[in-house]
Amino acid sequence: MNGRSAPLVARAHPFTPLVLAAAIVVLAFALPAPRGPMALYAATAALVALAGAPRALITGAIVCLPLWFFLFILHVALRGGDGLDAALAQGARLGAIATASAALLRSFRPSRFLDAMAVRGLSFHAAYLIVATLQSLPRLRARAHAIQEAQRARGLRLRGAPLGRLRALVPLTLPLMLGSLAEVDDRAMALETRGVAARRRTPLAPPSWSGWDVLACSAAAAALLLALGWRVVSP
Amino acid sequence: MSAIELDGVGFRYPGAGTEALADVSVHFRAGEVTWLYGAVGAGCTTMLLVAAGLAPRHTGGELAGSVRLLGADPAAPTSREALLGRAAFVTATPVLQLSGVAGTVWEEVAFAPANLGWTRERIGIAADAALDRLGVGQLRERDPASLSGGEMQRVVLAGMLALTPDVWLLDEPGAALDHAGRRTLAGLLAAEAARGAAVVIASEDADETLAVADRVVVLDGGRVALEGAPASVLAGEEIWTRGPGSTSVAELARRAAGARREPVDALAAPYPLDAAEGLRRWT
Repeated sequence: MNGRSAPLVARAHPFTPLVLAAAIVVLAFALPAPRGPMALYAATAALVALAGAPRALITGAIVCLPLWFFLFILHVALRGGDGLDAALAQGARLGAIATASAALLRSFRPSRFLDAMAVRGLSFHAAYLIVATLQSLPRLRARAHAIQEAQRARGLRLRGAPLGRLRALVPLTLPLMLGSLAEVDDRAMALETRGVAARRRTPLAPPSWSGWDVLACSAAAAALLLALGWRVVSP
Repeated sequence: MSAIELDGVGFRYPGAGTEALADVSVHFRAGEVTWLYGAVGAGCTTMLLVAAGLAPRHTGGELAGSVRLLGADPAAPTSREALLGRAAFVTATPVLQLSGVAGTVWEEVAFAPANLGWTRERIGIAADAALDRLGVGQLRERDPASLSGGEMQRVVLAGMLALTPDVWLLDEPGAALDHAGRRTLAGLLAAEAARGAAVVIASEDADETLAVADRVVVLDGGRVALEGAPASVLAGEEIWTRGPGSTSVAELARRAAGARREPVDALAAPYPLDAAEGLRRWT
């Protein structure tokens, strides 16, 4: 996976996608609207495609589609809206952030991230907090799917009238929440018996910084400085 | 030498009306496989949690009496660090015991040794040996989340074995395993006891556990009801009234004896416990 044939996003140092995603979030609001966010969205899309995670583009667009629709209604179709520029700016911001987040989630490898944190001498607890946060969404989705299948097998109807669908949410969400809470306890015990409280973790395969990582992080830092500087000096 | 000492231990879960453990005094020796046997709710799981120092810290509740794990109080913050990696704890649900951070099975097994700061060379040797011992060496590049329940449980066991722990605490570890897996587990536990580890296994499967246990402690309502060599405890009549019953061969003998109008010596207690003993007695 980490060989030369692997996409750039899989070979990157685990901190690089995090730095880029954080920079994109800040830039989305720091750059002048509407051209700044639109250019950022285009740059994010190009970066994600070049890095070998084109599916993140589609995921980002799917997440944003209903929001774009509402922004169009709010700012363009309805009287008293802020106009097309506002809709484009906000839509592009959302698009850039959603695409960057989707790419981050797709490229995230917990074990490599833990190794990178261990190399830096950072505690397992801090690293695990970040890992658990980033993994919570796919884990919840998998659990929700399993519960949905189980409840369907027991005769729960998930289609039909809106009221019926609403009623079906209770047997779906309640086990999801209770199961997640119970899992937290069990996993905490399992992790404790596996030495996570120890002071120093050995990185199994310490990730290294490549020229691309340095270039990407430097470019992100420079873009941030320029955008924030422009914010300070502009009227 | 006792690796685990429970003296006058009582435990009550938060909001529970009755004690899960009541005035329990039992010691688990190094180099011995002890079988905790009891019906559901008898207190076997609670005893393992208390012995590991996980209850009441993770479960809440009130603990009374004295608990010593390898000579230290497992709940005391000062001894917790010294005990890291020395006690293995395995439950029936492997999916909840995975670290959740490993991309491959090898990383999963290496997870605990890495946490303890072992050198990479030592981690590699321990992880490879543990994977091979549990018969899952061919899975080392697989994503742990993609494994079957039985494969996952073998990986969890390998992860614990890599630590070469002094104490094994296992709660129904064979529940997710197939017959071959349970045979591997039995061999592993016997080998670990021979190495000098204290092995405590809570299991309701009398047929499987009988072969591997040196001693059985029968719990009933949170109290020690019976204790001794499995062959003597499980062959008697008392296990049927104070415990969860015995092996399937013993049950067959007991039912057959009950069905006869006249008592028959060959069917009376002490009951045979396995097929070989039954054949010797009845043919």
